[in-house]
Amino acid sequence: MTPGFGFLHLSFAWLFAAPSASAKTLSPHPVDFAIIAIYFAMVIGIGLYLKKYTKSGKDFFLAGREMTAWVAGLSFVSANLGALELMGWAGSAYQYGILAAHWYWMGAIPAMLFLAIVMMPFYYISKTHSVPGYLHLRYGQATGGLSAVCFAIMTLLMSGVDMFAMALVLKVMLGWNLNFSIWVSSITVGIYVTLGGLFSAIFNEVVQFFLIWFGALLIPILGLVEAGGWTGLVARIHRNFPQQDFTHLWRGLGHFSDNPMGIHWTGIVFGLGMTLSFGYWTTDFLVIQRVIAAKDIRAAKMAPVIGSFFKMAVPFIVILPGLLALAVLPYHLVPQSAIGSAPGLHSYNEVLPLMLARYCGPGLLGLGVTALIAGFMSGMAGNVSAFSTVWTYDLYRAFIRKGASDSHYLSMGRWCTMTGVVLSIGAAYLVMQFASIMDYVQALFSFFIAPLFGTVLLGMLWKRITGWGAFWGLLAGTVSSVSMFTLVKLNPRALAYVALSAHARAMAENMYRALWSWIICVIVTVVVSYVTRPQPVESLKGLVYGQTELPSEGHLALWQRPIFWAGVALLVFLFLQWVFW
Amino acid sequence: MDQKSEMNKKRGGGGSGRQIAVDLIDEKPSKRHMLPVWFFIGLILLTYGVIIFVTGIYEISHPPSTILSNLHAPIWWGGLLGIIGAVYILKYRPHGQ
Repeated sequence: MTPGFGFLHLSFAWLFAAPSASAKTLSPHPVDFAIIAIYFAMVIGIGLYLKKYTKSGKDFFLAGREMTAWVAGLSFVSANLGALELMGWAGSAYQYGILAAHWYWMGAIPAMLFLAIVMMPFYYISKTHSVPGYLHLRYGQATGGLSAVCFAIMTLLMSGVDMFAMALVLKVMLGWNLNFSIWVSSITVGIYVTLGGLFSAIFNEVVQFFLIWFGALLIPILGLVEAGGWTGLVARIHRNFPQQDFTHLWRGLGHFSDNPMGIHWTGIVFGLGMTLSFGYWTTDFLVIQRVIAAKDIRAAKMAPVIGSFFKMAVPFIVILPGLLALAVLPYHLVPQSAIGSAPGLHSYNEVLPLMLARYCGPGLLGLGVTALIAGFMSGMAGNVSAFSTVWTYDLYRAFIRKGASDSHYLSMGRWCTMTGVVLSIGAAYLVMQFASIMDYVQALFSFFIAPLFGTVLLGMLWKRITGWGAFWGLLAGTVSSVSMFTLVKLNPRALAYVALSAHARAMAENMYRALWSWIICVIVTVVVSYVTRPQPVESLKGLVYGQTELPSEGHLALWQRPIFWAGVALLVFLFLQWVFW
Repeated sequence: MDQKSEMNKKRGGGGSGRQIAVDLIDEKPSKRHMLPVWFFIGLILLTYGVIIFVTGIYEISHPPSTILSNLHAPIWWGGLLGIIGAVYILKYRPHGQ
């Protein structure tokens, strides 16, 4: 899903309560529109060019399995760099300060490195095409099918939600018509993914990665110049908000009430760092698909490691603008609830467009808006390409038509891509009619992530886990997550039990709910596995630790080994925690 | 498919799920002469660089009402994009067979 698990905090209420087009945040110049138009022409051109290289199912669904580590790594990060993520976390940085960076560091780096070193060999050696495909191989049809159905439905719904939210963002920022934004952007994505499949999606994601960086990087650069560097930034924030600590990562996490996020360090470490982020980065097929397309196992292991370095740098273009807004804006941004009563104010979520308008004139503004559109389109392309693969291989071929020719599945993949786009548009209009669906759809996705991580991890590391154990564990974890969510909705006092404190905020609740559902999944999986018949060892070859021959890297120089660079990434990660402690 | 089923058995697979994986790995990697993605990146960065640079030149006489417009960010940012784009195009441009 485009915005990863981090979107959960982003309220869409501000979008629905957005001012009319006449009060739009940005005032683009014709040159800005030219830059946006060139971008659309380029992505379609790439799709047209790649069509002639997309001749088989392997090309369409796995990009020929010939991506280098750099291409797979940048695509891996880009598929997660959605426009809503950029805007939402910039807003969170204004609201919570540098604590928001936990979602890029603690909430990503350990999991990405774990994926690279521990889990990637199993995904790659099993030669699966998808995460549900791995579950199918490891546990059989029931678990693989359950996972595939959940993923397919959630992908389409999320794609629709993203599409509608992005159209609203464009309306707020540029005054664009909702229908125009939805149809033009989704048809463009549909064309280039249908033409070139995963090849096209990955190529465009790498292009989009560059555009996102070059479009957004000027804000922190010029912002730091205006604020007087990092020291000046901190001094200004302390002057503007003397009662609050916005510039320390860990210092205020000793108690729920000591930090603006209302979260305890255990929630960050165990809920975010060890459960939710591992669930997202190691099992969400949207991102895993990019790495599976790598040309060999070393490239597949290096791709998330390369991605982790860029992920660590993303706060520079997302969190820093939020902090800069705290320092340099002459007015205070407010929660959405305050907007209705006093028109003319701006909400937290408008930080990025406001900072863009502050520093970027014609041309640069177009580049910044293109960065946001590119972020949206890379996410949507990720959704439809992943949906098309899961539908074609994990549902259509597994349950409806086995044994057809490769060209048949290729054709099905292309039709499925177009169908996925149309269904996403339908979901977008559904959301337009029933606004509250948005938040529920996003919550639904979070229900599934943490238990799925338990199921996949146990399956990779422990041969005793059985298919029925996995099925019931996954089901129990997901149902328990839904139950906790419903319980807190019906009775807010239950929050004190789910999140361990009545002071906990929504984000803390998400972290602890993920942790409990993961624990429940693991316990049920293990218990049911022990009361069911073990799977034959020979059926687990290439799928489980101890039954899989992992290629040696002994012949490689130290600097060529993924484990070396993972160690370097870990050191950089620890260094950042120390610097901003 | 028969050959692939045989291969499944040799790999130790028994369940129906094993067949799914094998279909995608039997093909040998093909040699393609595809333009690398870096060439496309060079193309779009150079295009944007030129547009933004020219806009920056125009803004010297017509400064926009943005903060720090005196730094002429479009000129050096557009220049940087253009240089990076040109380097990528030169390095990854298509060669004759």
